Order: sequence, then structure tokens, then C-alpha cells
Amino acid sequence: MDFSLNEEQRHWQAEARKFSEEELRPHSLERDQIEGGFEPWDWEIIEKGSKLGFRTLAVPKEWGGPGADFVSQALVMAELARGDSAMSKAFSQNWKWSHLIASACTHDQKERFLKHFLADHRYVMGRGITEPNAGSDNRMPPEDDPKAGYRLRAVRDGDHWILNGEKCFIANGSVGSLFFVDARTNPDVNIRSGGTLFMVPKTTPGFRIGKVFNKRGWRFYQNAELIFENARVPHANVVGDVGTGSVKAGKGDTTGGDIFGDLELAANALGVCDDACQMAMAYASTHKRAGRYLMEHQLVQLRINEMHALTEALRSYVMRVAWQHDRKEHSANAGLVMNWSTDVIQRVTRLNMEIHGAEGCMMIARVDKLVRDAMVWTHLAGDTVQRVKVLRRLGKGARIAAGANAD
Amino acid sequence: MYDLSLTPEQLEFRDTVRDFVESEVKPAALNPKRLEPFEKPLLAGLLDKAAQMGLRSLALSEEAGGAGADGLTACIVMEELGAGDVDLAAVLAQTATLAHVLFDRLMTPEQRKRFLPEFIRNDGNHLAFAGRDPGAGAGWSYHRPLAESAADVQAVKQGKEWVVNGALAFVPNATVAKLFAVQVRTGAQGFATLLVPRNTPGLTVREPLRAIGEVIRWHHGAGAGVAFKDCRVPADQALGGSAAALAAELARGVPPLAAVNLGLGRAAFEAAVEYAKLRRQGGRNIIEHQAIGTKLADCAIRLELARNAIWKAAWTLDHPEAVAGRSVSDLPLHTVARVYTAQAVNEVALLAAECFGAMGVMRDMPLQKYVHDSMVFVHSEETDGAAKLAVAEALAGFRRPAADAA
Repeated sequence: MDFSLNEEQRHWQAEARKFSEEELRPHSLERDQIEGGFEPWDWEIIEKGSKLGFRTLAVPKEWGGPGADFVSQALVMAELARGDSAMSKAFSQNWKWSHLIASACTHDQKERFLKHFLADHRYVMGRGITEPNAGSDNRMPPEDDPKAGYRLRAVRDGDHWILNGEKCFIANGSVGSLFFVDARTNPDVNIRSGGTLFMVPKTTPGFRIGKVFNKRGWRFYQNAELIFENARVPHANVVGDVGTGSVKAGKGDTTGGDIFGDLELAANALGVCDDACQMAMAYASTHKRAGRYLMEHQLVQLRINEMHALTEALRSYVMRVAWQHDRKEHSANAGLVMNWSTDVIQRVTRLNMEIHGAEGCMMIARVDKLVRDAMVWTHLAGDTVQRVKVLRRLGKGARIAAGANAD
Repeated sequence: MYDLSLTPEQLEFRDTVRDFVESEVKPAALNPKRLEPFEKPLLAGLLDKAAQMGLRSLALSEEAGGAGADGLTACIVMEELGAGDVDLAAVLAQTATLAHVLFDRLMTPEQRKRFLPEFIRNDGNHLAFAGRDPGAGAGWSYHRPLAESAADVQAVKQGKEWVVNGALAFVPNATVAKLFAVQVRTGAQGFATLLVPRNTPGLTVREPLRAIGEVIRWHHGAGAGVAFKDCRVPADQALGGSAAALAAELARGVPPLAAVNLGLGRAAFEAAVEYAKLRRQGGRNIIEHQAIGTKLADCAIRLELARNAIWKAAWTLDHPEAVAGRSVSDLPLHTVARVYTAQAVNEVALLAAECFGAMGVMRDMPLQKYVHDSMVFVHSEETDGAAKLAVAEALAGFRRPAADAA
């Protein structure tokens, strides 16, 4: 057993910590408190981080990216999230699709898209799978209902496909340059065999952004509707084969999709928990109740103990999963750590609020922000389907079904 | 004897207020244009309308011009209002309780004559209690004397007047109150409670806290800080009775506020049930999935238990003989109800929001507001944990030394 980090991993961790403290945290609350769905976004933060490699971190070295390993990726996500969870996600969302491109796209597609992505500090990506009537059904399509899941329709027209329909809650929706979009090429069978994954640049004719969602947490992070009205997408933009479902489209994707996405949410949660622990310690050692520092009350001591125990346990689990990924040992642990990070981040941010709640009629805004950000996990990482889905992996042992998780 | 049947009057109160909430409060409170922005100004027009319906003077005796509702009835009404808008409900709960406590129970006939007519006449006339919550800080001082609070408002007697100086960081209802009952320290040991009309020179209501900034508003209703600078109050505007008696009277305000909290939980739960019956995933309506079913059952169980605790606490405050006669526990049941309800409703709001998936965190939807409102209940005034310590002291039979019982 060896828990030490290598030089490259330590380098990325230090870089991320510095950037997070100097460029994310100082703007975190300010961006969070701007009204509106789109308005909290700030390109300057993305550009600054991009110049340091945080936008393209997961692009393999042979394609000119930093090619950081999974342990480094986990460390960076946690460090960035400690400054601002939503900003961290805005960067790492790109890594998910970098993994996908690297493992599932053709050489031609890499030439056409990866190079742009690497060159442009404002080039970010997203994936459109969720629709108003298809959320959980995309993650776990019911066996007995072939029509369940996304309905966005793609019809072949020569060298193009014509896409019609609508996606919602799509990450980076309002700011993305490229989207991976799941569409039905056959509406009469289930999405595993009737679905196809397309790459849709934002400049596609017939494609536009709809409503930008205004959320309680992760306010900096963008979620929007994608609207397709006879959008023309070249056949050359199909990922993998037609009619194999998005799961199989990413079949070479043993490192992207679910596998990365699960680690991503857990590592991000870890950063938020670190922040909460730090805030609770600082507050409890400087504020008094009934003549004694909060830290001297058993009530507070027990809560601080629990916050740290949960956070350290999450760190061990996150780093173990990252380490397993680097060894290409994929197990149900990725899903389990994501699910469990939901419970941990809820609990730790709430304990932090309980400690700060002693303020009475007011609340320190960042304490509330962490609780609001944490709430996002409940439908993203820890909802029933995300938990039940892991059982498939438990059943299959080390063999995994990758690909269906898109958020 | 155990009888939970409501009287025809109580049922009528409930139905009337429920109709008002469904037809007027909810459409305004849950309008996406109101839900989305951080700041949510008090629904002043609806507050006046509720006052015209008699909800402001709900608990005031009929002789004094009120509806004469007992504690249980007040809780039934406040639950309905809380299901519509917690801020509106919190203001009315505060005024309704104080109207009964001040006018019916604590004022001299002379004082009543001076202040009651204006209260009855003007529907915009609300009441506030400005002072150290008698229970505040008690938890943190667990099994020890209460720590001195430097923030107490001081009063010095000059001739036939009290001269009041000091400030309170937070007074519920301060922004709408026309009459304040102000608890002041009158020396090393003494406390008095003075009736101070809002327009008294030297009384200033500060700007309320905002929903954004480094420190944000974390309370319901219309509270704000209040400052006194050489504020002169006639000596005959002091309320009689001991500090302990005042504390016992103010306990009456606790169950109705818990009922507001309960109402908000019920609103979240009902929204989730409605949605779960419509939303289809996994080949069936989601209410038919075990995971959603148990979430909703957990909500229902918590709400039922909270309502039982609140009703029992309210009834017991009106029937002290039931405690003396050993029918009901002598624990501080109002604190039990408040602590349990705050926790339970917070869990209910989170579970209800989870049933909505991503819609549960969207700002133009009500669920995220229910979650926020429920968290404010858990952590306002004093934290959940510290409030529990007050119950623990009662269990241990701890009696605070008389000097700091105020």
C-alpha cells in the first residue's frame, strides 16, 4: 500500500490549489449571488483556468493536452471545488467529453473537434441526453417499455441527419461550442438499439439554445435547453455506429462516460466538504456562545468530529477509485462513491450550517451556498436510479456497462 | 378521555383560511416571477386582507374585539397560512399571539384603553416583542447560569419616565409593528417590560437584512433590528408581572409558529404527491415505485407526528390543569413540538424536492423555496441542537437560579 502522490500529481494539486484560492474563491459568492440563470457565468474565469490547463486537463498528451492521470484529475477537481463547486464542474465537464472523444471518436473527428477545443480558451462542451419526459429513463430504460427514454428524432437525409426535438437541463448548454446529443434513429425500439450519438457544433443550422435554467445551487454552472428544428448534422458527426445506442457508441470508452462522471461528482463533493470543515473550524474557534468558544461545547465538538471523519473517509474512497481508474480496474466503486458522496456532502454542509446557525436571525452566506450547491447531488448523483443502477455493476463484478450517464 | 374531534367552528376556520390560501395566497406566493429573485418582499396587500378576515386578532378575546380563538385553533389556522406563505403567516402568528398576551393577559385596564382601540381600528397595526427571548441562550448555558448579555436594552427611571437606551439585533415583526413590548434591564437584577408605540421619539427600526451579501437574512416574517436612543417612555406604560410570568405567556407563541412551519412542510408534501401521480418514468407513474412511495410515506409520517406534537402543546398551554392532574407530561411540550417540527419538516421538504428530480432545485419552482424556508426554521433564533438542551435541562430537573431566570 502506498498513498503518496508522484511529482506530477503533486504539481497539479498545487497549481489547482493556488488557482482556486486566488481566482475562484474570491469570486465565488459574488457570482453565486447574481440574479438569473446565465448571468452568474464569467468567461474570464474559464479563460484564466484554461491558460493553466484546467479546461483541457484530460486530453491525452498525444493530442497535445496535459494528459493528466485520474489521480491528478481527482485532486484538481477537489481543489477547484474547495474554491467553488460550480466553477470546478464547469472545467471538469469538459474532461468527461475529452475522455469520450479520445476513446470513441474517429481520427477525422478528433482532427475536426479536438484541435479546436485545445486551441480556443472559450471552447467548452456538453452532452444532451435529458428531455422533459426522459430523465431516469435514459439512465435505466425500463425493459418493458421500448418507447421510454429520449425522443429527439434523427432522420437520415443523404449525407446528413435531420434532428428535431428538445433537450433540457443540459450542462454548459448556454455556453457550449460542441454538444454530444443522443437522438432516436429508430423510435420503435428501446434506446439501447434505437439511439445514436451525434456531435452537434453550436453553429449547426436549425439548432439553438432555449431557456437557461436558474438554479438554487451551482449557480455559476450553466444548464439550458437545446432546441432542434430541422437541425442538419453531417453523418460524419455520428459517434460510433448508427442504432447502437449511446451506450455502445461510447464502447471504447472505458474511461469516460459513467466511469469518469461518477468520480467527478465524488471528487467535487470532497472539495466542498474540505471547505465546510475549514469554515466550521475557523468559526468555532473564534465565536463564543454563553461565554465559551463554540469549540468548547460538546454539541459542536461532536459535529466537527463527524464532519472530519466523513470528509476523510470520502477522500480515501475518491482517491482509491481514481487509482483504480489509472490501473484500468473498473468496479462498482465508482458508482458507489458517487452515490455516497451525495450523503456525505449533504451531511457535512448541514453540520457546518448547524455550527454557524448559532448566528440567530442571520446566516453567513457561504454556509448557505455550500448547502445549496450540495443539494444538486441529490438528483444528479444520489437519486434512486443512480443508486439502483450500480447494482448492475455489482452483479457484473469488474465488467462494466459504460456510457449512459450524461449529466 | 381523549378527543381529537374539532369543533364546527374550528373546521370552518380551517376551510375559510384554506380557501383564502388556495385562491389568493398561493397564486401570488408561488408565481415564478416572485420565486426566482432572491428578495421576496412581504405580500403586504394579502397581509392586510388576512387582517381584514380577522386573522391578526385571531387569539384576542371576543370582549376585546377579537375572534377569541384558543391555542389549538390558532395552530389550525397558522398551518393553513404557512402552507401559503411563511412570511405572511409568521407576521400574523406573532401579532395574533401578542394581541392575546398583551391585551387580554398583561395590560392594566388603563393601558388597554390607551392601546386597544387603535389596534382594533387599524388593520395594519401589528405588534412586536422586543427583548431577549426568555429561552434564548439557555441551551448554550446548559446546567450553568445564563451568561450576561451585553446587548440588553437598559432603562433608567427619571421622574415619571423611563429613559431607554440600547439596541436589539433582531425583533420579529419590527418592520410592520405599531406597538412594541420592550424588555429592558433596569439595574443589576431587575427587568421591566415597557409598551412603546412605534412613533415614540428615540425608537428606530433598522433596515431589514437582505437576501444577498456576506451575511444574509435567516428568519421568516418581517423582522429587523431596533435601536433606542434616549427613548422616553411614561412609567405607567410598564407591564406588570414577573419575568417568569412573561416568559410563560410568550411560550404561547411557540406552537403557532411551529404550525406555520408544519404548513410549509405540508405544502411541499402535497406538491410531491401530486407530481408523483403524474410523472411517468420507469414504465409507470413514479408514485408506484417503492423508492418514491417510501419517501412520500416518510413525509406523511413526519407531518402527522409533528401535527400531534403541536396540537398537544397548544392544548396543554391552554389547560395547565392537565399537567397538574398528571394527564400530560410536564416537559416543555412547546419546545418539544418546535424542535421536532423543524427537523421533520426540513426532512419532508428535502424528500419532496427529491421527488421532483432536477425540478426540485429550479428557482422558478416552489420546491427549492420550501427547502430554504424549512432550513431557516431549523437554524433560526437558536440552533436545533441548543434548543434540545432546553428539553434536556427539564429532564434533569435543572432549575436556573432565580436571578437569571429572566
